[in-house]
Formats: sequence, structure tokens, C-alpha cells
Amino acid sequence: MSMLHAARARLRALFRRSAGDLELGEEIRFHIELETEKNLRLGMSATEARRLAVAHFGGVQRVREEHGDVRRPRWLADFATDARFTLRAIRRAPALASTAVVTLALGIAANVAIFSAVNAVILRPLPFPSPDRLMMIGEDNSEKRWHMNVDAPANYLDWRAGVSDFADAAAYTDGLGRALLTVRGETQVLTASTVTGSFFQTLGVRAALGRTFHDEETWQSAARVAVLSDRAWRERFGGDTSIVGTSVTLFGRPTQIVGVMPPGFAFPDAAVDVWLPTAWNPASRDSTFFRRAHWLRVVARLRPGASVPHADAQLQTVVNRLKGEYPATNRYMGATMVPLQDFLIGDSRLPLLVLLTSVAFLLLIACANVGNLLLVQAAGRERETALRLALGAGRSRLVRQALAESAVLATMGGALGLALGWAGTRWLVRLQPKGMLRVTDFGVDPAVLVYVVAISVASALLFGVGPALWMRRRDPAASLRDGGRGAARGRQARRWANTLVVGEVALALMLTVGAGLLVRSLLQLSRVDAGFDPTGVLAVELAPLGPDYRSPAKVQAFMTELVARARAIPGVSSAATTQGLPLTGNFYTSDYVAAGRPADGYGTEVAHLIVSPEYFATMKVPVLRGRAFTADDRSDGAPVVLINDVLARSYFAGQDPVGQRIAFDKAPTPTTVWYTILGVVRGERSESMDRAPRAAVYESSVQAASQLSYLLLRTRGSTASLAPSMRAMVHDLEPATVIFSVQTLDTVRDASLARAHFITMLLLAFAGIGLVLSVVGVYGVLAHATRERTREMGIRIALGARSGQVRWMVVRQGLRLTTGGLVIGAAIALIGNRAIARLLYGVAPNDPATLAAVVLLLALTGAAASWLPAVRASRSDPAVALRAD
Amino acid sequence: MHMATDQSDVLRGTLDLLILKTLTLEPMHGWGISARIQQFSKGILDVNQGSLYPALQRLEQKGWITSRWQTTENNRRAKYYDLTASGRRAVGAETANWRLYVKAVELILDIS
Repeated sequence: MSMLHAARARLRALFRRSAGDLELGEEIRFHIELETEKNLRLGMSATEARRLAVAHFGGVQRVREEHGDVRRPRWLADFATDARFTLRAIRRAPALASTAVVTLALGIAANVAIFSAVNAVILRPLPFPSPDRLMMIGEDNSEKRWHMNVDAPANYLDWRAGVSDFADAAAYTDGLGRALLTVRGETQVLTASTVTGSFFQTLGVRAALGRTFHDEETWQSAARVAVLSDRAWRERFGGDTSIVGTSVTLFGRPTQIVGVMPPGFAFPDAAVDVWLPTAWNPASRDSTFFRRAHWLRVVARLRPGASVPHADAQLQTVVNRLKGEYPATNRYMGATMVPLQDFLIGDSRLPLLVLLTSVAFLLLIACANVGNLLLVQAAGRERETALRLALGAGRSRLVRQALAESAVLATMGGALGLALGWAGTRWLVRLQPKGMLRVTDFGVDPAVLVYVVAISVASALLFGVGPALWMRRRDPAASLRDGGRGAARGRQARRWANTLVVGEVALALMLTVGAGLLVRSLLQLSRVDAGFDPTGVLAVELAPLGPDYRSPAKVQAFMTELVARARAIPGVSSAATTQGLPLTGNFYTSDYVAAGRPADGYGTEVAHLIVSPEYFATMKVPVLRGRAFTADDRSDGAPVVLINDVLARSYFAGQDPVGQRIAFDKAPTPTTVWYTILGVVRGERSESMDRAPRAAVYESSVQAASQLSYLLLRTRGSTASLAPSMRAMVHDLEPATVIFSVQTLDTVRDASLARAHFITMLLLAFAGIGLVLSVVGVYGVLAHATRERTREMGIRIALGARSGQVRWMVVRQGLRLTTGGLVIGAAIALIGNRAIARLLYGVAPNDPATLAAVVLLLALTGAAASWLPAVRASRSDPAVALRAD
Repeated sequence: MHMATDQSDVLRGTLDLLILKTLTLEPMHGWGISARIQQFSKGILDVNQGSLYPALQRLEQKGWITSRWQTTENNRRAKYYDLTASGRRAVGAETANWRLYVKAVELILDIS
């Protein structure tokens, strides 16, 4: 009861201080009046009576203050006082405080930016209802070494039908397609995703306008339908709500817009403008093609209450049944089910965690620096502290004051860091390699704010604990005796300062070694020979449109004429076409077998690249044996292929492949098409810069025409200036040609390195900041230590020490600190860097050269940091030093 | 001048007890309490006014006394303090404590 009463009274007092003050004022006034009256009764004069009454009361203000103390919770009042005191101290020494705040803000800002990315990509749940029940299913194949690969449509249909734990399942084409929209005779290119009719229901999203797809729309029907993204609806159709139900021209055919999705919906990619139904031909359902070709990603939603292991068991039952039913395609086929979010995070996880670790290191380094600054400051206030202790201030009170100081600095650093971090986040979004962070905007959400508060508090405790302990341990008598000079700076404080410096040097070393490894790896990568010469090559993605181009022969004629005219453009030395660009993984794979091999003599996973005869000359891919395609390898002639040296070495080891026949099947049948191998070319990197060339065959586009292609132009001069004449030529040849993109192959190559580049640059920036901070830390501690030893140095010089000796003494101290940090850091880096092995190319995680270079760099910067204090120490004037007290 | 200044620096705990005891007679305002204490102690104890009001505040927070604004016989507004039930119990306990303390001190002082 009374406790409650007390709490209420305090609370009231806290919030209504001014009301309480007024009441007290009135009470005091009343008291003094009565006292004055009493004095008057005793016969005093009016003024004397009043003066004595006030004097007797003993200082109105003091009563007020004591009263206030009783009414407000003590610690809160103290904290307010401490905070005010700190702000005053900051105004007195703005350089120290702003150094601390800026240092801290840098560390916190880096954390905010990276954590925002981690939060958006890894932590924040997918924006679908019950996202934890969404699973991604990928095909495994022990023979082809697949894991979580794309799926064949027939397999998807069987899984969906056979697993009762799935509430629903859907499939969509892996990667994005294009849709051609014709508005008033003008063709626009849209980014399209092709999905089954169950796609939206499985994800659990509704259309903002109209409807999504029906399940039947998985299959072909007379009506062509499409669903628009919010962005496409606004940008292409002016946000017209009457668009739903109307017909537009897609791919030259009337297509009904049945719905518009809400703004936040961006699956499978934020770039999607329009979703199209798969509209498969029902006749395909039982064809081998439907089980043999793999191009789908499959998402399943578990029934409420269904467990992942149970659903997976059901899935495996279906998978095993299919193995028996369709041995030709499914004997080695397995399936893996993983949470959708895990799948989508994919290989962004490791880089993000590496970045998160490095910004944590950065913040620790920043804390160490601020901790040292505060320690120096606390030592400077030695005498004041001792005096306060001697006068009876509670030790815990002094500790609290030290912590309050840290809290104020941390709050300022946190606020500034949040602002900087927010800017950094926007910068990250802008500079990220396409698709790495999977989001177009992070925003600062509650999780990020909580994180900022948490790391600010943690930092405050971390750098505040040193000075706080320092306060606790002070012996006032000793401090006052030494007068707050050098010797009084206790061994403990010095040891703590040294520990901080050793720690931050170790952290800086780890950061720098990590960055160094990534830099070396990036250098290795950019030196890698891609197998072709990208410099000076322009790649134009285009397709001829219209009913004329439905026959392969027409497309073929168009492409041949295109190459001929392109070669005639001034500045173009050679031209070719290809179905997909190297380094982009744009190819399909198949099994293969050479004529005359035993039944199990087949191979798997050979990539198919379809190129025009001039491709090898244009890309400067050398023909090692045999010959390249010529104009004589006609579409009505015998089928021919070229193979690359990877296939030649692996499958034709010890034989001459040229002249042999090859088929793209495991077991040839009477209808199998046999291709004659014309020659062997050197392997190109077809997936990315960090993947070695894989076994591949080149088919001639003359024999295997396709509608969508790239025109490649090797130029003699500037590639960019060629674009206008190229466009004019293309439209002159066929006005109904759509040009999707124009880029140089150097750009394509850079895009393949973009992710490595991005991570390396970020880590390099963090390492740079960490290095500068740790140098400042070493400098700060040494500068302070030498200042304290000015007297000692003076004496040494007076006794005949040469300035070189004095300098060496200080530098040696700096080197001792740095070396300690380097040894610890190197030991941890050697073990810890294994974690980033997967981000490295051509460099071992314990690469001795990198480690040695970084250690040397840090040792030199450590020595440099101690040089200034050393020089200052060696100039100590003995006379001044001895006099100073 | 204040004859009793030297003796008036009563210990905080003692002051609390004196206030409580005084209030057992009747509700009183601050000045009245200090006047009563001085009167009952025959002028020996002159309560330091600076400690009186904080003490009253403290006692109120403990829930031993309550206060309310009231009009005096001279028709002036004053803050009157009154004992609560727990305050009344506290007087007994505190008085016993005090007696014990005094006895203990006397025992020590009697050592010859």
C-alpha cells in the first residue's frame, strides 16, 4: 500500500514538478510569515523580524533543491545532471567529442546500411500470407550432378497431383521473358514472366483490379489472357482502371488484360511488367519432351498443419514412383524441397554475412577508439575525480557519471550514424549488382531502428566501461598526492588502453586481410581469359516480327542478310549472330553419345550454343583442329557441329574427334539425328568469369534457326558511335524488327564481375576506414603516453640521452602494441578466412602473400603513427619538463 | 539569536520520529510542528527548517503522513499534515527503537 503510495507520489512529482514547486513556495512563504509574526511578538522591528525569519529558515533555495531530490527518483535526476554535465564538457572540448561522435557514427552508419540489406534479404519474411509454408522444389540428378535444378513440367504436374500435403503448387519459367506490346502501331517491349494458372493462388495474393489466373489457364485455350504489374499498368496504361477486361495486342495477337497486381507484388522478379499463363498444349502432357526438358521453378504451399518432413516424404514417394514409371528420363531424378525464402536468399547470404561481420569489426574498432579518448579524458580529470571522491561522492555515482557520458556520446553517434546509414542504404540499393539484394528499396523499418538502438547501447557500454572501471578503482588519496600527474595514471588504465589498441589493430588486420584476399581474387578474375576477345564487340539483341517470320527459313534468310549488311557498315570488321551471349549461362544442355560407343558410353550435360558461321572469327575464338562452319554447311545438308576442347579432352581423350559422329541422346534410336564433328575450338566461359569453360557443342544457325538472337559486331573504332548506323541498317532491312538491347561485350564481362566487384569495393572501404581508425588509435595512445612521460623524457635528455634514442623508445612502444595486434589478428585471420573461401577465385584463404603484405602495411602504418609522438618526445626541453608540475 | 543552534542539528531519523510524535496530538502545518517541537523540548531542540520540509515530504512518500490544504483559524491557507494509520503504527515502533538506542548509548557512556 505505502509503496504504491510512494511510487504514485514520486510519479506525480516527476511529471508535475512545477506544480510541486508552486506548492512548496506557498508553504515556505506561510512558514516565514508565521515566523515573522512570532518575531514581531518578541518585540523586533518589522525588517529585523523578517530578516531573521528568512535566515532561520536556512536558505530557501536549498530547501527547494532537497525537496526536489526527495520528490524525483534520484538516479533519474542524477542522470539528467550527468547528461547536462556531459553536454557542458562537450562544449568545452568540442574536438574530442566530435571525434568520438564522428568515429562512432561511421561505425554505426556502416552497420545500418549493411544490416538494412541483411534485414531486407534474409530476415524480413516474404510478403505473402504464411510465407513459412511456401516451399521451393528443385530437381536433383545424381548422374548429371544437379541439385535444386529447374524442373520438367510433367514432373511438376505429378508432384502437384501426388502430394496431398500441398495445399497448392505452381510453376513458372526460370528467368524472365519478353512480351511485345503493340499500341497504335508502335511496338513496346515488356518484361514477362510465364506462370501456371495456380501461380497467384499458391502465393496467396489477389489482384488489385480484376482477377488473377484460373487453374485451367495453365493449358492452352482460345482466349489469350495477361495480368499486369502495378508499374506497367501505371507507366504503359496511365493507371486506367477500365483497362481490365479490354484487349491489347501482345505478340501481334489480341490478348485480354484480366487483372492488375497490387504495387508490392514483385515475384519472381521486380522487373516483371506482365504475367502470362503457360498455356501449354494439352497434347504435350504425355510427350517425352515434357519430362526431358527442364525450365520451370516450382513453388508449393503446404497445407496448414502439414509438416515439412511429412510433405517431403510424400514428395519422395511420388519421385520414386516416377523413377519406376519413366526410367528413360527419371531413373536418376530426385527432388529437394527447401523453404522458398532460403532458396531466394541463395548465394547472397555469404557475401551479406561477410559484410555484416566486417561492419561489426568496424564498429568494434570505432568503440575502441572512443573508449581510448574517454580514458584519456578521464585521466585528465583525475584531480577533480579524486577531490569528489574525497568529499564523499559515491563511487557508483562516479561510475554512473562515466556511463552517462558514454550514453550521451552514443546517442549522438547513433543519431548521426542512422542518418548517414540511411544515405548509405540508398547508395547500396543504387550500386548493387542487379538482383543481388533482390529488392529495389530497403527503407528504414522497425527492425533497423531496434538494431541501431541495440548497437548504440552496446557501444556505449563497450567504450564506457573503461572509464567507469577507472572511476571505481581510483584511490583518492593517491590521486591527490600525485596531483593527477603521470604516475597516477594507474597501471590498470594503461593496460586497458593498450588492450584496446591491440584489439583494434587485430580487427583492422582481419578486415584488411579479408579485403586484400578479395582484391587479389578480383584481379585474378579480371585477368582470366574468357576464351573470346570482348573488346570492341557490340551485341545487339533483336528479333524480326510479324507473321512473315513464323517460318524458320524466313528467319534464316533475315539473319543471313543482317550479317551481310552489318559487315558493310563502315568501321565494322566482322559480324555474326548467336543465340546466347557467353558469360550469361544462356544455353541448354543435353546428353550425348558418339557413334560406335558401348551402351553406357554416353555423356551428360553438354551445352548447346547456336551460332552463325562467322561467330568464331568475330569473337576471336581459335579453331584448334578441323575447320569452322562455312556457307556450304547448308540447312538442307548433313547436320554438322563443332565441339570445344573441353569436350574433346574429356570424351574423346586419345582420339581425333574431327570426322566422328555425335548424337544428343543417351541411347541412339533409328530416328536419332547424327551430327558430324567438323572441328574443335577453344573453350569459352559460357556461364560466368569464375566458371571454367564447360563441355559444349556449337550448332550452326544455318541449320538450327531461332527467332531471338544477338547480332555481334566487331568494330575497328569506337563501338558506341556505331549504334545509330546499326539501327538504321536494321530498320532499313526490316522495319518490323524490335531491338531489345544494345551493349558491348566488355559490359557483359563487367556484369559477370559486378558482384565480386561490389563486395570487394565495400570490404575495401570498410578495411580502409578500419585501418585509418586503428592508426588514429595507436597514435592517440602513444601521444597520450608520451605527454605523460614528458618529464621522464626531459630527465633522460638532461642526463644525456640522444634524441634518436628517445624517438626509438616511443616508436618501439608503438611497434610493440602493433605487433601484439598483428600476431593475434593474423592467427584469427588464418582460421577465420576459410569462411570466405567460396567468395575467392584463384587465391587460397590463407594466401601467405596477402597476409604478409597486409602485416607489413599495418606495421608500417603503426610505425608512422608513433613517429609524431616520438619526434615530440625527443624535443622535450629538459628545463621545461622539470619545471612543469 | 538562536540559543539552540548547536543542539538543533537533530539526526534525520530522530527528526522523523519527532514529527510523527508531534502529529499524534493533532493535524498541524509545518511551522506549527517546528514550534511544537521547540516548545516541548523547552527550547533545546530548534528544528532546522531546511530539513523539516524535506522530512515531511519523505514521510508523506512513505505513506506515514498525508497533507491537505486547509484554512487556519486566522483564515489563511496552510498545508496541514496528519498521521495515517501506518504512520500511527510507525510511531510506536520508532519510539521503541529510539528507547533501545538511547539505552544502548547510555550503557556505553556509563562505562567508567
